[in-house]
Amino acid sequence: MKKTVRGTGWCLLLLAFVAFLPGVGAAAEKPIVIGAPLATAFLYGWDAERGIRLAIEEINAAGGVKVGSVKRPFQAEVIDTRDLEPGVPVSEALLGVEKLILEKKADFIVGGPVRSEAALAAMDLLNKYKKVSILTTGVLTPAYHKKVADNYDKYKYCFRISSHVGVMANEFITLLGDVKKGHGFNKVYIMVQDVEHARKGGEVMKKMMADKGWEVVDMKIYPTGTTDYSVGLSDASKRKADILFLWMDMPESSILLKQWSSMKMKALPMGFVNAAEQPGFWKATEGKGEFLIVNLVNGGNAPAKITPWTMKFADAYKKRWGLEPEGYGTSSSYMAVYVLKEAIEKAGTVESGAVIAALENVNVMGVYGRIAFDKKSHQVIPSLDPEQGAVTSIVQWQKGRRVQVFPPKTAEGKILLPPWMK
Amino acid sequence: MDILVYGAINSATLSLMALGFTLVYSISRLPNFAHGALYVTTGYIVWLGVNALGLGYLPAIAVGIAATAVIGGLIYRLFILRIRGMEISEIIATYAVGLAVIEGLRWGGLRGSTFTLPSFLAGTVDVGGIVVDYQRIFVLVLGAAVFAGLNLFVRHTKTGLALKAIAQDERAAMMLGIDSDGKALVSFAVGAGLSAFAAVLILPLGNIVVETGYNVLLYSIAVSIIGGLGSFGGAILASLIIGFAQVLTEVFLSAHYQMVISLLAIIVTLLVRPSGIFGKQKELDDRV
Amino acid sequence: MNGAQRRKERIDRGIKVRSDGIYAVSSLREMAYLAGPRVVLIAGMLLLPLALEAAPYWKRVVNILCVYGLLAISFDFLANRVGLVCLGGSMFIGLGGYFAAIFNVHLHLPVYLSIPAAAVAGAAVSTAMILPCLSLRGVYFAIVTLMYPLLFTRLIEAFDVLGGTNGITGLDSFPSPHVENYAIIAVLLAVLFGLRRLLAEDIGLVMHAVKDNDQSVRASGIDVTRIKALAVFIASLVGCFGGAYLAHIYMWAGLSLFALDFSIIPIAAVTIGGGGGLFGAVVGCLILVPLSEFLRVFGTFRIVIYCAVLVGFIVFRSEGIMTYCTRKYEQFERWVEV
Repeated sequence: MKKTVRGTGWCLLLLAFVAFLPGVGAAAEKPIVIGAPLATAFLYGWDAERGIRLAIEEINAAGGVKVGSVKRPFQAEVIDTRDLEPGVPVSEALLGVEKLILEKKADFIVGGPVRSEAALAAMDLLNKYKKVSILTTGVLTPAYHKKVADNYDKYKYCFRISSHVGVMANEFITLLGDVKKGHGFNKVYIMVQDVEHARKGGEVMKKMMADKGWEVVDMKIYPTGTTDYSVGLSDASKRKADILFLWMDMPESSILLKQWSSMKMKALPMGFVNAAEQPGFWKATEGKGEFLIVNLVNGGNAPAKITPWTMKFADAYKKRWGLEPEGYGTSSSYMAVYVLKEAIEKAGTVESGAVIAALENVNVMGVYGRIAFDKKSHQVIPSLDPEQGAVTSIVQWQKGRRVQVFPPKTAEGKILLPPWMK
Repeated sequence: MDILVYGAINSATLSLMALGFTLVYSISRLPNFAHGALYVTTGYIVWLGVNALGLGYLPAIAVGIAATAVIGGLIYRLFILRIRGMEISEIIATYAVGLAVIEGLRWGGLRGSTFTLPSFLAGTVDVGGIVVDYQRIFVLVLGAAVFAGLNLFVRHTKTGLALKAIAQDERAAMMLGIDSDGKALVSFAVGAGLSAFAAVLILPLGNIVVETGYNVLLYSIAVSIIGGLGSFGGAILASLIIGFAQVLTEVFLSAHYQMVISLLAIIVTLLVRPSGIFGKQKELDDRV
Repeated sequence: MNGAQRRKERIDRGIKVRSDGIYAVSSLREMAYLAGPRVVLIAGMLLLPLALEAAPYWKRVVNILCVYGLLAISFDFLANRVGLVCLGGSMFIGLGGYFAAIFNVHLHLPVYLSIPAAAVAGAAVSTAMILPCLSLRGVYFAIVTLMYPLLFTRLIEAFDVLGGTNGITGLDSFPSPHVENYAIIAVLLAVLFGLRRLLAEDIGLVMHAVKDNDQSVRASGIDVTRIKALAVFIASLVGCFGGAYLAHIYMWAGLSLFALDFSIIPIAAVTIGGGGGLFGAVVGCLILVPLSEFLRVFGTFRIVIYCAVLVGFIVFRSEGIMTYCTRKYEQFERWVEV
């Protein structure tokens, strides 16, 4: 309390100063530090970092954040948590988060940690240091916002602006329903990776599809790092599967697509495939990944026309980093900074309690639809309509481009079948 | 039937991966824990050759294998030579070198899933009703060829015989004027070359990611231990065992028990027969 | 040099010679000479948190440093005193951490009970796991112990028990940062001096004999396997304590407790510090852990740097820092004509 009084005093003094010194802008103010613990050696880390940096640069160029009566700039402190690398303990990532809080004096945590295990473990740490955090990338497990809902007082510092398995599964079901109507498909073969979110995703999908009248032929779970899927694929071929449903976040999944294409399998591949999100996927599979339908989790992770802001963001990103937004984590990290700015300006302070209240009431039209958080679980509210909530983005690879095919309201193209399936 | 075909291919892949590791150990009793790193390095060099230097695919492969062999020789000459005979230092040093290479590559930009090598020949072939792509056939055929070639080399060339002599009895070989250190260097370079060869054959099936380095090392250790450290026949047999065990697990159980099966196989083998199935060490040496 | 051959010879300092016998307590000077290094270490460790009062983050690093210190001591003890090279330090951390989580989260034991209980339970399980491989030597034993942590990881993953890949969260943390700091520092010092004392006792001599020549120990009618099992139990008790403590300060236990880092860094620390005397292990950690903290900005590149340091030490200075310093402290060198 005393500090804020003193701080305001100083600010007033400074203001008086600034009034007499034209040309000194927001830069003279103490910056608001955003700490970003990210696994920067991985897609979900580096693209999130780029998203955060881009947003911060834009906001600072426009004068910064209005806190009470002063304008303060944002400052990014990124730290490599290495939490997606095998062989690296989660405690290492948590130490990174602590470094941001204790040493870099981060006011807010935006971004990671990226791995579910690390992010769930970091929740206790955020409570310990009373720091507000917005999770923007990586973690897809519903356990995250369930924990907030179950123990609000302890975990109220944690928000998630990106989507999760539950929402994604529902949307896949809707999309599959459309495909079923259009092509008369009814058999599906599931392949998932042996990590928690993928297994859960597969299980959820299996149950939901069975409820919707699909025949789930089989579900295979592959250990991380598998380089041969031929047994499963030929099994799926033999059993006449129409849809190959995937849920994987390992780079080796591009092998699966290569094999699928060289076998000329009569099944349409779709799902959550980390390797297939990036523009580089086309080259990595020598174009064999065409027709794969991928979930990018949040809209705007590939150029699309969801809201007026979407293309603006995609172009700005391209101008700044020299390539299109690459995948999950880009648009959500970018939005998180803007949402934080909104909340701080509403709260008029960077104090945690006030910012939490402001974040709970945030309602802005963002890159991927209307952004608002559920007051109990602090999960961003999803919707199929960008006017109503945050939309995901499902794209299909067509001629080397990622074409948005779902949700219908934002679709740019239709789902195409590979020539050997016609 | 498909179990047979895929089991065979899987086994060939494993034995190719482990070949370099086994060779080095059989000749110079060096556990080369940098083996996986060399494998990944080759992939990266070939990729650079094709994509950055604009070499053709075949020249790039030749350059890759040669470069890796040289790197292997250098590792021996610079580090291992000074600590030979200290088993634990050998493990730690080679492992540290490997780790440095792997993480260095990651830091240097070998990230994400966009690094791939084209297959030698695109397309698939039908083997008794099972679709197999040509590249896997290549792995099978060339893998067998390499084993045959190695056998000829060891049995019918002077260098090969010298290597075999050292493997059998180092002291006696030295008394007969065989330069043990020089030959160990050769074995290290050849071993590195073999892991490079395995890499160019197997990597087109997938992509080049640094994590492969760890897996290749793990599988090599598994194959070498189950087969008996430093025995070729054992390595082939062990590859068959693990390869088929994995495919069978995948078909009848679930793929995510694959690794558990391999690890259990190693541990059980070590407990029951520490020198492996065909190990040449006397039981007494390894047990108290 | 022109023809005159010279060589360096090392001679014990007079004071060292004097303080070796009963005369050690004859004067303050001798006592100070003998106790000096120990006092410096103890005082240094105890003052560390106070000195870092202004940098709260570094106090957290000290905790981690001590956990690595415990692991390094346990590795050094097993490898250089008993002759068992155990590459699976992360197994101790993992078992200790998971047991702590079970005791604290599921059985609601308070922190002060759950950590020691987890250490004992973890040590019992580790010893039981290692028991069948005790008759293996050298490379084989090393590889089995390297495999165990991987096996545990895969088992927990495959059967989806103990929180599966998400781990167990919500362990109690310590009441205050000071308790957190001093608990682990006190344990580290107690373990360090306790084990040194143990090694000087009869049982320690027998252990060393097992390393040097197990057949002769067996011939003397001593059960070698029992001695080895005892040593493994002691070492894993130390390691599991570190794991349980780590789980509590981060309020979490998960698969990555079995991470490779916990196996590699202690070994690197012993290599750099110098093995055999247990002091070296701690000194190695005091160098390595802060070094890797400073290198954090480089991301993955820091692994490359500390691997390079490690290889450099193994190849060019295999005795380690501590051994080198001890020599300088106890002996002087001079050139003599040959």
